[in-house]
Amino acid sequence: MFEWLSHMENTKPLALVIFFVTFVGIILWVFSGKKRGERLESYKNIPFLDEDEDSGARQPKEVADKDQDNG
Amino acid sequence: MAQGAVAADAQYDYDIIKKFAIMALVWGVLGMAAGTYIAAELAFPFLNFDIAQITFGRLRPGHTTMVIFGFGGNALFATSYYVVQRTSQARLWGSGLANFTFWGWQAALVIGVLGYLNGITDGKEYAEFPWYVDVLIAVVWVAYLVVYVQTLRRRSQPHIYVANWFYLAFILATAILHIFRNLAVPVGLFHPESYSLYSGVQDAMVQWWYGHNAVGFFLTAAFLGMMYYFVPKQAGRPIYSYRLSIIHFWALSFMYMWVGGHHLHWTALPDWTSSLAAAFSILLLMPSWGGMINGIMTLSGAWDKLRTDPIMLFLITALSFYGMSTFEGPMMSLKSVNALSHYTDWTVGHVHSGALGWVAMITFGSFYHLIPRLWETRLWSTRLVYVHFWLATIGIVLYIAAMWVSGIGQGLMLRAFDDYGNLAYTFIETVQFMHWPLVVRMLGGVFFVSGILTMCFNIAMTIRSAKLEQAAIEAKIAAKLAGAGA
Amino acid sequence: MKLTHESIEINAGLMIVLIMLAISIGGLVEVVPLYYIPGTVEKVDGVRPYTPLEQRGRDIYVREGCYTCHSQMIRPFRDEDMRYGHYSLAAESQYDHPFQWGSKRTGPDLARVGGKYSNAWHVQHLNNPRSVVPESIMPNYPWLLKTELEYSDVAARMRALKTVGVPYSETDEEYQANVDKFGKDVADRLDINNAERNLIAQAEAGNYDGDPGRVTEMDALVAYLQVLGTMVDFSKYDEGYFAEFR
Repeated sequence: MFEWLSHMENTKPLALVIFFVTFVGIILWVFSGKKRGERLESYKNIPFLDEDEDSGARQPKEVADKDQDNG
Repeated sequence: MAQGAVAADAQYDYDIIKKFAIMALVWGVLGMAAGTYIAAELAFPFLNFDIAQITFGRLRPGHTTMVIFGFGGNALFATSYYVVQRTSQARLWGSGLANFTFWGWQAALVIGVLGYLNGITDGKEYAEFPWYVDVLIAVVWVAYLVVYVQTLRRRSQPHIYVANWFYLAFILATAILHIFRNLAVPVGLFHPESYSLYSGVQDAMVQWWYGHNAVGFFLTAAFLGMMYYFVPKQAGRPIYSYRLSIIHFWALSFMYMWVGGHHLHWTALPDWTSSLAAAFSILLLMPSWGGMINGIMTLSGAWDKLRTDPIMLFLITALSFYGMSTFEGPMMSLKSVNALSHYTDWTVGHVHSGALGWVAMITFGSFYHLIPRLWETRLWSTRLVYVHFWLATIGIVLYIAAMWVSGIGQGLMLRAFDDYGNLAYTFIETVQFMHWPLVVRMLGGVFFVSGILTMCFNIAMTIRSAKLEQAAIEAKIAAKLAGAGA
Repeated sequence: MKLTHESIEINAGLMIVLIMLAISIGGLVEVVPLYYIPGTVEKVDGVRPYTPLEQRGRDIYVREGCYTCHSQMIRPFRDEDMRYGHYSLAAESQYDHPFQWGSKRTGPDLARVGGKYSNAWHVQHLNNPRSVVPESIMPNYPWLLKTELEYSDVAARMRALKTVGVPYSETDEEYQANVDKFGKDVADRLDINNAERNLIAQAEAGNYDGDPGRVTEMDALVAYLQVLGTMVDFSKYDEGYFAEFR
């Protein structure tokens, strides 16, 4: 096992395994857990904390309602 | 309404954003017009007119610099200063330093571009700035980082929104790329020329590590920051998945830095390097498409907006082109495809499907959202936004299609053999073949430039009417005060 | 403290550190080994730094942005071999600061253009490309023949190049090292102390621009073009020799 690791030509499959496992691990971690998911998803409303009543730019009316749904 | 306007202006520093936004459009027009002109020079070489300053070789770095660093750079300064203030609900830190980033950046562009036209260049693609401009840019960039981070630290709630991560990665990566690509020894303290610290194969690898990450961080990560703010705001609904954006961000940041070597397939660069780069290029498809899906799905359940809102049309089309070019890119990084595509117009077309389709379209969409808010008014004409959209889209389609024909055609001709095993075509025959595609490409450029000119007119009228409204309000108040006084 | 993604999201400093980590690895892995893995630059005889005149020609090549349309990197394909010659070696651009491999062939590759055409052809072609190749889309470069070459700074240029690693000589010791490495003839031309004299001598002897009385930018550029790809004698090596390095 360790001898296999010491061969230079095996670095490619080794790197592949390391990267792939890390990647899958991160995905599983991020998307598992209902609570963690809800918590993380709550941050997506940050851009709407700062509402644009100030500007005359046409802000669709339903935005405010949508925000309430999500919050 | 006027009351609110005063409040917003007091809460946020909008002046600096207005300046950057206007300069983005100015450099955009100049850069795209220069691009169209050099496209015309390739189709009709008499247009070089024996004037050294406007020959293709000198004007082309001018075009790329004005578009990438002038249009793109100013747009990123403008939107990042806006987004960081709005998502932190804090005023920009250090208005003096922010002003320095503005004037320093414009000075670097003017000195750099005028230098190229007069033959002062480092001769490294997208890093042609001479050494003294490199120093100026490095100083401006540090100031930018300081302003940005200090503003983040003022944020009124604990979380840093995802758009800011992308802007932050872009600022940091650009600093590293800029410094290491431009390490050089000047000929003298008062001599404009310098020689790169690296040579040959190492210089080539440093170049494309820099060159591709100028695409990856300057032209992708940063504009994704723009996307993560302006798409949700314009759609009026939050981003599709915040968790997907976490994956998107870290995977993109990590992987992009590996892929530059795919520009050097089959060259004297060792095989292991370019193969490794190609492997990461293919992996990069996943985070890229993750990001695209995240952006487009933000609109899920509100697709009808595409029918009624031309700004949304810009943003979603930009994401579609992003998806297309991040698919085409990994494909072109395959060694067998690259053998054909490299050195041809196919690469040029690919770059422009990203630069026009993604970078410019997302910027146009974001600006149409941003500018009325900066000047506290409405867009002067929504119809002209539609006109712009179609001019731009037709321009891009003509451009890309012409470059596919020209690039793939030339690639196939150059590798063709006759029955006796001789080369079937001379090089100059491929040049003749490319004439008509080059003409069509130039037309595509004309369409695109007309589009941005339409936008400039619309924006100018918007600002003008904002000033008129403001003046009318002030006159009213003055009249009231006068009436009260009497 | 429990580490969650929020720990990063609420801490700008931590985020900066992690971003720096994420973006540093790729470049380090791909660039640094190129300086240490033996054979990255092939062992081959004949490659030498440019003479003062050739280097000034190269400066003009860079100034005019020739790299925006011409590559200097032949790939190992049958058609490129027939069209341009032996594929390019890393060794052949080891003294190129910056490299000029290019990324686009609007015109043909120039890595082995040296010796393919006469000096007179180059002068005619650079002055007015369509007078020799009617279908060409290259700009005319009439000012090359009209402009006297600026060479008062050539020693300073060579000193700068020496700082970044090109073996030009200034001391006796360095000169001697060059004699051992390249032979006396070449070593003489790489001597910074005689840079101007060498430059003028080469321009007069070569008479690249067809006007022996003047040293023009055309002299320098043609001298550079004529040396491209000619330094390695490929007949001295086996077919398989260079493949081992790839």
